[in-house]
Amino acid sequence: MVIKVNGENLNLEKSLNIAELLMAVKAAQPEYVTVQLNGEFVERDDFPKIFANDGDEVEFLYFMGGGQRD
Amino acid sequence: MNADEFLDITDVVCPMTFVKTKVALEDLDDGQILELRLNDGEPIQNLPRSLKDDGHKILELANNADGTFTIFVEKGGLT
Amino acid sequence: MIKLTNEQLERYSRHIILSQVGGTGQKKILSSKVLIIGTGGLGSPAAMYLAAAGVGHIGLVDYDTVDLSNLQRQIIHQTCDVGRAKIESGRETINALNPDVQVHTYDEQVTAANIRDIIHDLDYDFIIDGTDNFPAKFLINDACVLMRKPFSHAGIIRFQGQTITYVPGESPCYRCVFNEPPPKDAVPTCRQAGVLGVMGGVIGTIQATEALKYILGVGELLTGYLLTYDALTMTFRKIRVPHNRRCKICGEQPTITELVDYEQPTCDFKR
Repeated sequence: MVIKVNGENLNLEKSLNIAELLMAVKAAQPEYVTVQLNGEFVERDDFPKIFANDGDEVEFLYFMGGGQRD
Repeated sequence: MNADEFLDITDVVCPMTFVKTKVALEDLDDGQILELRLNDGEPIQNLPRSLKDDGHKILELANNADGTFTIFVEKGGLT
Repeated sequence: MIKLTNEQLERYSRHIILSQVGGTGQKKILSSKVLIIGTGGLGSPAAMYLAAAGVGHIGLVDYDTVDLSNLQRQIIHQTCDVGRAKIESGRETINALNPDVQVHTYDEQVTAANIRDIIHDLDYDFIIDGTDNFPAKFLINDACVLMRKPFSHAGIIRFQGQTITYVPGESPCYRCVFNEPPPKDAVPTCRQAGVLGVMGGVIGTIQATEALKYILGVGELLTGYLLTYDALTMTFRKIRVPHNRRCKICGEQPTITELVDYEQPTCDFKR
């Protein structure tokens, strides 16, 4: 099956849930990523429960903060 | 022909000829007439077309035989 | 309504020629007021282009001084400005660029205690988030949502950048997408990860574009869209983001009704 992640096609052997998908793409800091499935936000608590199926489009949105004096 | 406003743009070159004309037309209501005095050369070659593209109607165009032309343009006359 | 001088007709001629601008649009720009919070990588180009465009009143908020490491991207400042207050350096650059612009400076860090007053000072039409930390970004979002002010959010790092525009009542806010600030130091900063200097230029200028489009009332804003930019692959993506019904500040049952100061970075008061 093929899903789209951040606009790029991804071939999967089987349907994965969001938590698994984040690991599969090696998402940086998955605990702070915002996830959309087919345009709708997925709540963090639902990451293990929601599955991406053939033809689905997933967006991983990341924080970008800036220079930050520290 | 009677005009509602008169603008002399013989002292500027393109695109200022168009810019000044455009701003003068903005201050008129649709249907009002602006009389323009402009130079031969680039202005008379470019301005009428630019005005038509903006939807204004050239009512009259006359060669003043002194290196300048006179145009009467109706605001929004083509829309 | 103001009348454009001959010098202004010439200065802004390339704007006036545009059918979406004209003399009418340029007068709107000259009458507008934009607040830029942070005169760094994003705020610098945004301020310069808005000044060039003739925004009549530009507010600059920054409490920091110019550092040598800023000059790789904060182009409103120059080498001779190292050590000077950023708002003063910014003001000078803008004045030299365009005397039509009045610069209003705020030598402070935005906090829950002062941000409303700053925005109210001139009742700014549009706000640009040019800050470099998440507590400030969430504060600006919340203030603009509560005060019903349109603003542009943006962030840059390494070779990437992103931006979203908020218009009250019409679009999702920053919190719709990113619910809460991440813990301090959880997300890499430019100081840690680096940033290609031009990233601020591209994204900051897009922020200025959004401000001008809002003022003119033309085009489609990035409302409901997160625009992401990857400079390495030269890819722009416009990702549709819906309004989040569960958003804590603009959702159906908001829990945030007051402004909050999240934990600020250490070394706040560097001078």
